[in-house]
Amino acid sequence: CRCRALLSRPAGALRARRGLAAGPEMHFGFQTVTEEERREKIYQVFETVAKKYDVMNDSMTLGIHRVWKDILMHKMNPCPGTLLLDVAGGTGDIAFRFINYVRSVRQRQLQRKLKHHQNLSWQEIFESYQKDKFNSLGDSQVVVCDINREMLKVGKQKAQHLGYSEGLSWVLGNAEELPFDDEKFDVYTIAFGIRNVTRIDLALQEAYRVLKPGGRFLCLEFSHVSNPLLSRLYDLYSFQVIPVLGEVIAGDWKSYQYLVESIRQFPPQEELKAMIEDAGFFKVDYENLNFGIVAIHSGFKL
Amino acid sequence: AAAGGLRRAGWRLWRGRAVVRCQQCPPLRALQASAALRRASDEHKKEPLASSSQQHFESPPAGHQPEQKPQGPHPSYTGQGGQESEDYESEEQLQHRILTAALEFVPEHGWTAEAIAEGAKTLGLSVAAAGLFHSDGSELILHFVSECNTKLSELLKKEQKLVQLGEAEKKPIDEFLRDAVEARLRMLIPYIEKWPQALSVLLLPRNIPSSLSLLSSMIDDIWHYAGDQSTDLNWYTRRAVLTGIYNTTELVMMQDSSPGFQDTWRFLHNRVADAMTMSNTASQVQSTGEAVVQGLMGAAVTVSN
Repeated sequence: CRCRALLSRPAGALRARRGLAAGPEMHFGFQTVTEEERREKIYQVFETVAKKYDVMNDSMTLGIHRVWKDILMHKMNPCPGTLLLDVAGGTGDIAFRFINYVRSVRQRQLQRKLKHHQNLSWQEIFESYQKDKFNSLGDSQVVVCDINREMLKVGKQKAQHLGYSEGLSWVLGNAEELPFDDEKFDVYTIAFGIRNVTRIDLALQEAYRVLKPGGRFLCLEFSHVSNPLLSRLYDLYSFQVIPVLGEVIAGDWKSYQYLVESIRQFPPQEELKAMIEDAGFFKVDYENLNFGIVAIHSGFKL
Repeated sequence: AAAGGLRRAGWRLWRGRAVVRCQQCPPLRALQASAALRRASDEHKKEPLASSSQQHFESPPAGHQPEQKPQGPHPSYTGQGGQESEDYESEEQLQHRILTAALEFVPEHGWTAEAIAEGAKTLGLSVAAAGLFHSDGSELILHFVSECNTKLSELLKKEQKLVQLGEAEKKPIDEFLRDAVEARLRMLIPYIEKWPQALSVLLLPRNIPSSLSLLSSMIDDIWHYAGDQSTDLNWYTRRAVLTGIYNTTELVMMQDSSPGFQDTWRFLHNRVADAMTMSNTASQVQSTGEAVVQGLMGAAVTVSN
């Protein structure tokens, strides 16, 4: 609820720890802006890149982002009946993977059930097929929430194009103030989105609020590379190649410059872990992918 | 920065008291760790049941100021279902409870994350809580094995007490071993269909240290209650022999389809008898050998003279 968000305003200590000024000054890439300006600028960035978002992801990461998202899904290991909230999930990558995963798990479940039922009459077999045809997802659902209308539009078009219809909802909402009731979801994911949230602590508190007891928080995000050689190569690639790709493919140098700078400004793995613990999550852990280029943070509401 | 660090330290002290103790032991699997968990939960039971959740967490971190309470949404204040239980226990204890609840779903789902998810559901937690554990069900199996070993220990202790009080006869060694192994194997019967899967998971390289330590501590327990006080090579040979008997009997039980597992118990009877004969034979051979040597020495002395 909102009063809880107000109570947590003494997060000045949090911001001071992150080395930001106590006022409404925030970073936008390497620039300094106010909170409101930051929100607006980020909204504009994603409005412009929405149409070419997926193409750019593929070209910037050489397609490896698909592997990262698959790893996230395997880590989640959802069983049928899970309610997933995918925040900042604009174009639906995580949502589609979730549906595929749950569908295949459900298939295996049904096959196992049938194997156990030897000696069924034809009538019973017919009935079991009828029942399960309408339950191929096993009551699992995913809600895709994004603050940006354009990204949601692209996502809906993709869903239609790829043929995903059931178990999917699209909601316009702000990660710092989710339009959902308390304790509704089993899993909350935010893939490559938390970097763009202006008040990360609020987003984490909202995540805590909407999760059921026992629910899981998963965050896939670019993080800090500790290996110095790799870090130099990574910086070279980020600052020299990516904005150029942005200009060539999407016609937008500045958005991709912002993207690369925002990765550098984002707190490193341990700090994000501490912030997640502060929000009340237990068993918080992170897994580095590709030596820290990307990290998956996981926490439970216990 | 200092304030934030202190707040986090306070939080950890409060909620991590039992966790820290458990973190110093090896993970949940080994018998030693589960003994520690019971101590923690016994302590909680001794505290007055009427205490509210707030009272509880103020008392343990002695000398900690109330204003060190963490801010924002927190389990102890909301007092909702599964979260309230977190006040009285650590994460390890909650995991323990989830695994215990998951055991009843094993015959249907096997030793998998699905069984754990169903178990979590019965406790009022989300199915995502199964993510606390490995997806291959290792923790569930190790938990089950450790629980069975604990039950066996308690059973043997009770029997020993009866013998000490004079209410029961002291069993001969072979009968004692037979009964102990049979009692332990009978605990597998409800899960017998899925047990081969469990055995294969226990043999994964990741799980071998834990499963081996559980096995050896169980065998050690049985010999201890059998009255073994050897301090020489016998200590090792006895345990090795009993481990062999236990493992082979377990395997026989996997593919036994006789009513009431009669074939398995007969197999067990024969193996224990073999082991007894073997030890008798060994001592006989030793004494015969000594006699032969003495005879030869005597002959040599006679001849030399």
